[in-house]
Amino acid sequence: MTATKANAAAYLIFAEALELAAGERPAFLTRACGGDRDLRHTVERLLAIAESASETLSFTTNGATTADRAGKVYGPFRLLSQLGSGGMGSVYEAERIDGVPQRVAVKILRESVAAADRQLFLREARIIARLEHPCIARLIDVGVDHGEGWIAIEFVHGQGIVEYCDARQLDIAARVRLLVTVADAVTVAHRALIVHRDIKPSNVLVTEEGQPKLIDFGIAYVLTLASETREATSDVGRLFTPHYAAPEQVKGEPVTVATDVFGLGALAYRLLTGQPPYADASSAVGYLLAVTRDDVVPPSQMAQGASDNPVRARRLRGDLDCVLLKALEREPARRYKEVQELREDLSAYLAGRPVRAHPPSATYRLNKFVRRRKLAVGILGVLLVSLGIGGTLYVMEAHRVALAQAIAARRGEFLETLLKSADPREGHRDITVAELLDTASRQLEERAAAEPLVTASMLGLIVDTETALGRYPQGLAASDRQLALLRDHEGTALDTARALISRGTLLRTNARYADSVTVLRQAQQLLAPLKHVDDERESLLHELGGALAYTGAEREAESMMRQAIALCPRVTVDRVARLAVAQNDLAVLLGNEARFAESVRMARAALATARAGLSPEHPYQLVAEQTTAMALLNLHHPEESEPLLRDIIVRSGRVNGPEGRDTLIARVQLGETLIDLRRYREAQAQIRPAAEILQRVEGPDNRYTNSAWSDYAQAACLGEDSAAGLPIAERVLATRTRTLTATDWRIMGSRAVLGLCLTGLGRYHEAEPLLSKAAADLEVARGAGFYATQLAYRALRRLYLRQGRADDAAQLESRIQR
Amino acid sequence: MATTTDHSATEQLFARWTSGDRSALDDLLGHLYQDIHAIAVRELRSESRLTLQPTALVHEVYLRMVALREPNWQGRAHFLALAARVARQVLVDEARRQRAVKRDGGTPVTLSDVNLGGTDAAYDALDVDDLLSELKRFDDQAAEIVALRVFGGLSIEEAAEVLQLSVATVNRRWATGKAWLTHELSRGA
Repeated sequence: MTATKANAAAYLIFAEALELAAGERPAFLTRACGGDRDLRHTVERLLAIAESASETLSFTTNGATTADRAGKVYGPFRLLSQLGSGGMGSVYEAERIDGVPQRVAVKILRESVAAADRQLFLREARIIARLEHPCIARLIDVGVDHGEGWIAIEFVHGQGIVEYCDARQLDIAARVRLLVTVADAVTVAHRALIVHRDIKPSNVLVTEEGQPKLIDFGIAYVLTLASETREATSDVGRLFTPHYAAPEQVKGEPVTVATDVFGLGALAYRLLTGQPPYADASSAVGYLLAVTRDDVVPPSQMAQGASDNPVRARRLRGDLDCVLLKALEREPARRYKEVQELREDLSAYLAGRPVRAHPPSATYRLNKFVRRRKLAVGILGVLLVSLGIGGTLYVMEAHRVALAQAIAARRGEFLETLLKSADPREGHRDITVAELLDTASRQLEERAAAEPLVTASMLGLIVDTETALGRYPQGLAASDRQLALLRDHEGTALDTARALISRGTLLRTNARYADSVTVLRQAQQLLAPLKHVDDERESLLHELGGALAYTGAEREAESMMRQAIALCPRVTVDRVARLAVAQNDLAVLLGNEARFAESVRMARAALATARAGLSPEHPYQLVAEQTTAMALLNLHHPEESEPLLRDIIVRSGRVNGPEGRDTLIARVQLGETLIDLRRYREAQAQIRPAAEILQRVEGPDNRYTNSAWSDYAQAACLGEDSAAGLPIAERVLATRTRTLTATDWRIMGSRAVLGLCLTGLGRYHEAEPLLSKAAADLEVARGAGFYATQLAYRALRRLYLRQGRADDAAQLESRIQR
Repeated sequence: MATTTDHSATEQLFARWTSGDRSALDDLLGHLYQDIHAIAVRELRSESRLTLQPTALVHEVYLRMVALREPNWQGRAHFLALAARVARQVLVDEARRQRAVKRDGGTPVTLSDVNLGGTDAAYDALDVDDLLSELKRFDDQAAEIVALRVFGGLSIEEAAEVLQLSVATVNRRWATGKAWLTHELSRGA
């Protein structure tokens, strides 16, 4: 159809008519146009265009400049009618014509797909097509036809989430519930290593049944692959949606899961306040500047300003303010590090539980807003980027294993989903952990070229998982790859430091303490000039303290640990838990140094911290109680530690399973308590099964395994069963000599135990030099009061008495306590 | 890199111009022209890109500049207005040049932009330029506003600031101008 050219007359009449109320227009047009039908027709068309155009930003094209593709065939689909057009191209409703009745939405990409990019485009789309979740509109097929790239997506009968909520006048709780469902869907995708990149109201539809459906998952990424030249400097044409794009997207920086955290935060902001974040920004440039420079207005203030009811503003104040502000942090590293955490806070809000995203950051930010100060004071810490909860970083002593298991469980979940997404046909057969991890690594390798830095952050997760599972060689390989990617693709100092901390943790857990210290010191250097990295600094100090404690540098280890504790109030994630654990580990350290009174004080402080700030079933509660029990044991209060440990064993068995490492260690500690109470047979009965399981699960070199066997040998010899103890004592000494630094007191302790066994068997000549050396060394290294020193004295006294050397025995008497 | 110095030169000129030094304008436009032209050529050369977002050209230039300091809102609007003008010129020149080079008319430099309606549509830069010149004959203000919005990505408020008009006026002129442009563009298809 060819319309008449709109000349000046038509334009002026149109402009005037537009000022009139709709009812007055016909009369006006009759008057103004007279009998000129073409003129009137043109004016009416102009009016129709003006009326249909959305309020500010866009023309409607009336479909005329758009090639009308209805009826055309793309792959197995015939296009029916156009549903709309968006930043990426036009969307059509389409039907399948290859026999399978199916209704789909076909998106025709605006940018043409260059031949060189075609394969990448198709391959990436295939990865996304594996994504299956009731709340995610499936990607069904992709292809290139008629010179145009197209994507077929599950057809969703639904309404935009904003319209859905407004039409039903949903209250805040109902809106938050919807958001929780959306967050679940995003989490599933993240576990399959797919980032949405364009979460916004128009990409979330809600069906009649109230089921949210996310559309366009990962499409933004496929699009960049399809249309972008590989030129890294290209900023032009970057796809972003004002008011929902994260700062890093706007700036063209790497996109990670944190980008979707921002998108979800922005969606939540829109649903809860009625306005998108940075609503004041009226142009794309305005948004670009605002989102990269300014803090977002707290939701409660926005709701208040938006002439909405004051009740809503009041309900947003507090927790929801904190949660949204944390999700919308400009620095990706300061946001929730995964969508799962945001989701947990939203459901915590619904359940009336305290949220994680609490002050200092949020309160600080709110106050800052009130005071309108511009000074950015960096009290905000930085979170770990990886998908996991990053907890392995603070898992260091025997007593923190419960947490490691919690992490392992969650990561197992991640890996399982990953595998399912990798091959849906193999979803339900038995899968070994090794297979899961190998699949994860393979999938990451596939993506490394396209997204090296995202891959690097995912590899960090693999490293932590392998560490938690004790697969050290695989973990080291992943760590090598991660560091190489960070190096070759200019990863930030912070990301490299994080990678090094993960590596250091792995090495320490693998008993390679000196190597661990070396790696952690590198991380320390990288962190030194950085600001806002208290979380990493705390992890680093804590880890370094843990590693140093085993390289004979106990003083420095203690100093590190105290610094870590001092940093805890400034940490943003798991603040209470981290403090409890740091106090706990310092207590362990002090205990190892025979400073028992200080150790008990610190252990009780840890317990108080855990009891005040954590839920009763939190693993740290048990950890802190266990440390307290151990400190009591060291202070020779076995009568106090025995009931405590028996209680811990029962509860830990419930939480961690009877074969959980924590449970086993508690049993070994109960054995030590029973030795102190001279109930040696009971002690053996407690320790032996625990030692066997530890050996099977943790390996023969593991230090818990060796501590357990050492205790067993000791109980056996003291209970006059030295024949059973001897081979074990020999093995422990050999293992420790091989795996620990030569000056480690544990080696001295092993000599004492071996000497004790030999004494019991009457092999005095072999026993005496061992015991004398152990006693002298331990006295210097750990002090006369240390339990291992005391053990050496007693063994020596026993030896002298059996040899009839009463004078020598009497000389020792003054040094033996109680 | 040499470009760094160029940006700061652009910035200094802009500062001089906003503080009242009218002689800086010619140099400023020259610098902007170079910057924007360089970006446009780079984009057009990349094989997979057949359309250009003029506002993106302007944004890129702007982004490079403001990395150095923090201009106020009004300063930003004025800068964008200038850059929009230059971007329009660059695109039109480039389109003409390409047509001259290729006998068959060559690939037109097409524009696509959020402010230019359905994003599926691509408009010939020369068509848009011609139409805006025509619109200017019977509604100067509307033509100016549409040009600022389409080529510079200015918001209604920013356009009002630059043109010293009320927001309501800009809204009205924008509504008529864009309807007319849409009508004319669709008529030609």
